[in-house]
Amino acid sequence: MKADGIPDIPVSHARLDGALCLVSADPAIDALNAAAGGAIGSPLAVPPLATIARLATRLGILVSRRVLVADGEADLDLWVRAQPDGSDVRIAVSGWREVHPVAPVIAIDDRALLDADLRWETDASLRLTFVGGEATGRWGIDASGLLGQPLTALFEFADDALPILDALARHRPLEEQRATVRGTTQAVVVEAAVRRDTHGGFAGMTGGARAVVDEPVAVAEPSATGPGADFTNGLDKALRAPLARIIANADTINAAPDGPVGEGYAGYAADIAHAGRHLLGLVDDMVDLQAIERDGFALDVEPIDLADVARRAAGLLAVRASNAEVALAKPLASLTIPARGDFRRVLQILVNLIGNAIRYSPAGSVVAITAGVADGHAFATIGDQGKGVAFDDQARIFEKFERIDPTEPGGNGLGLYIARRLARAMAGDLTVESAPAEGARFTLALPADTPRDKDQ
Amino acid sequence: MSIDSDPDRGGLAARLAAARRADGRARARLSAGIDDFFLGEQDRLDDRMRLLVTQMLDGIVRGIETDIRGHATRLLSGHAGKSGAAVMSIGQGRVTDRLARAGLLRDRPLMDELIARARGDVIAQALPIDPADAHVPSLLIRLAESGDSVVAAAARAMLAAETQRRAAAGDVMRPSDLPADLHHRLLWWIAAAIRETALAAAGDDPATDRAIVDAAQRSLSAHDEGDRAESIGMRLALAIDARADELGPLLVESLRDRRLILFIACIAHALQVDYDGARALVLEPEGDRLWLALRACDLDRATVARIGLSLADADPRRDLDRFADEIDLIAAIPADVARTALAPLTLHHDLRLAIDALARTDER
Repeated sequence: MKADGIPDIPVSHARLDGALCLVSADPAIDALNAAAGGAIGSPLAVPPLATIARLATRLGILVSRRVLVADGEADLDLWVRAQPDGSDVRIAVSGWREVHPVAPVIAIDDRALLDADLRWETDASLRLTFVGGEATGRWGIDASGLLGQPLTALFEFADDALPILDALARHRPLEEQRATVRGTTQAVVVEAAVRRDTHGGFAGMTGGARAVVDEPVAVAEPSATGPGADFTNGLDKALRAPLARIIANADTINAAPDGPVGEGYAGYAADIAHAGRHLLGLVDDMVDLQAIERDGFALDVEPIDLADVARRAAGLLAVRASNAEVALAKPLASLTIPARGDFRRVLQILVNLIGNAIRYSPAGSVVAITAGVADGHAFATIGDQGKGVAFDDQARIFEKFERIDPTEPGGNGLGLYIARRLARAMAGDLTVESAPAEGARFTLALPADTPRDKDQ
Repeated sequence: MSIDSDPDRGGLAARLAAARRADGRARARLSAGIDDFFLGEQDRLDDRMRLLVTQMLDGIVRGIETDIRGHATRLLSGHAGKSGAAVMSIGQGRVTDRLARAGLLRDRPLMDELIARARGDVIAQALPIDPADAHVPSLLIRLAESGDSVVAAAARAMLAAETQRRAAAGDVMRPSDLPADLHHRLLWWIAAAIRETALAAAGDDPATDRAIVDAAQRSLSAHDEGDRAESIGMRLALAIDARADELGPLLVESLRDRRLILFIACIAHALQVDYDGARALVLEPEGDRLWLALRACDLDRATVARIGLSLADADPRRDLDRFADEIDLIAAIPADVARTALAPLTLHHDLRLAIDALARTDER
């Protein structure tokens, strides 16, 4: 599954001539440019890239910027460098990360610091450039004396410096890292986000630490009986209409059809739209949740072709997969796996599973979707090459409001819970096999319609 | 509170007076609205700046106020008994309002300092980080480890001063790190406001006056202008004393390490102007005087372009397009012409203030 930070995706290069026409381009840039209506020999058609290239030419210096580029329905988060080279401009683009339409409103860097007793920041060499917060006095920390020292002069990490080295090597944030404040017995939980330089590279960390509370932190448990029975009694409709209006208005502000809007405000508008979509998705899931938790919940079970449904689900997510540079291996077109299930619900489950697999897959990896029959059951298996699900977490992720990776933006922790409940309601099941670092394989099993005579 | 319970409001005269006051307020509100409406977008403080300036001013005033009240309370409880000391807590936290109402806070140098500092903080936080080499410690840390002990000490002091200022940024009270003259002025205003509430509550009392004066003088003598991050920045720039060929890389790297104070101090040192003068031209969104300053330091086109790009990325008020259009013209300005054009900046700080005051009087 995908690392939490920005994965190291190979850099794509292109060359423009003095008139900013594309002379040559690696496939990724070529595809992006073609999607925007451009071609080799014509002016670069992706506006943010063209702007940076033009700026680099005019200023005569290297210009690096992080930009969002619209690509179909999604946005791509790109780090662009444009370097004048004689009369030409060389362009290097890295990042290539699809921006999740449900990005959290509060970024992890802010979240880690909100309730921190101690705040700190380092440069790229992990030397402390800032130490502050009300706990400095309380814990007897000499903030001034620590400046310029390695981060490990402030914290003693439980597993030596491994988490730090790991974070540095992979450019990953620190999450819930247990440590003690060096020279004291103060136990703390350290969190940190990665700071980025203008090329998207590692520029250090900004983090916080809070005192460890001995008692386990009480987690707000969702109601055991699920959402109140009133939820679908019109409440979903009552929520959908205003949410749709909020999203539409925010999108309009963001698109600025009536002239320029301050960049900050356009950004807020985009955040509002993203948050709105997230809430709308949550409303859908709550409706599902209520349905499946109702007594006597039944599905419209009929003969279906599980391989066909899997191919359709993969087709729906092909664009997202290509944006994430993840290949989808679908069942062969000739394969038929007769099964019994509710077509729409099976499609919903598979879209959820394949979507998760793409989200957690490193670029350049493959999500394999296979279908077959074994022991009287038809099955579809989605395997990824991501970081996997730890054994201890394998039961947890099917529970309500649990996430495979809680730090990953998007999702509300209901998808797998709903998927498994649906599978079981069709006399099937949803299971996971995984070992850390070896990817995860989710298998949807359904009653086979024609047993034992077909296999993958 | 019901109307009946307030006897003053019952009388006709009081009602008419209230109506007249409301009329006056309405006129003032309209005037303010008109002024605000015709303010150019470039001149208006945005909400974030307003908040930062408010927090900074309030924090500094509260810091000084708490100092004075605390020490005066101690003095009074030693001499005049508890009742005298209790007077000192009356009106706590309302000093900023009182000074603003009196119009004292409309002091140009004070507001100039606060706005410039808030602007500088915002820009510094938005500067794109771009370490020259990710495996080497950042600029200020390298300087703090320099073999030159003067440079190292100044750089360490700079790290500590910036950290201290940033750590205090969200606090209700913060240390007053204003220039000495501003600190001096603000402190006596605050002392006067404290005395006013004490007088209103307990009447004239020489012991209270003495306690307030003693506390204020104690606070004054504890203030050291040299501890300010800006002063330390100037000391560091002096200690580095960048040669002509070192200045460009130093300026570019200080921006890329988000050390705006050091950047400004290095320009000030190179041009032989004071920090405030250099800061004013670095923060101006038009940039015209900054480009002259960079040319006066004989910096080449690429260096000027890198500096312009970093600042434009951090300050949305800047017009990057115009800068890109003009970069060739800027680079062509002879260094000596640029130096002559900037000569007024090298005048004594107080003389510049007087010239500014004269010019504004003429405008009226």
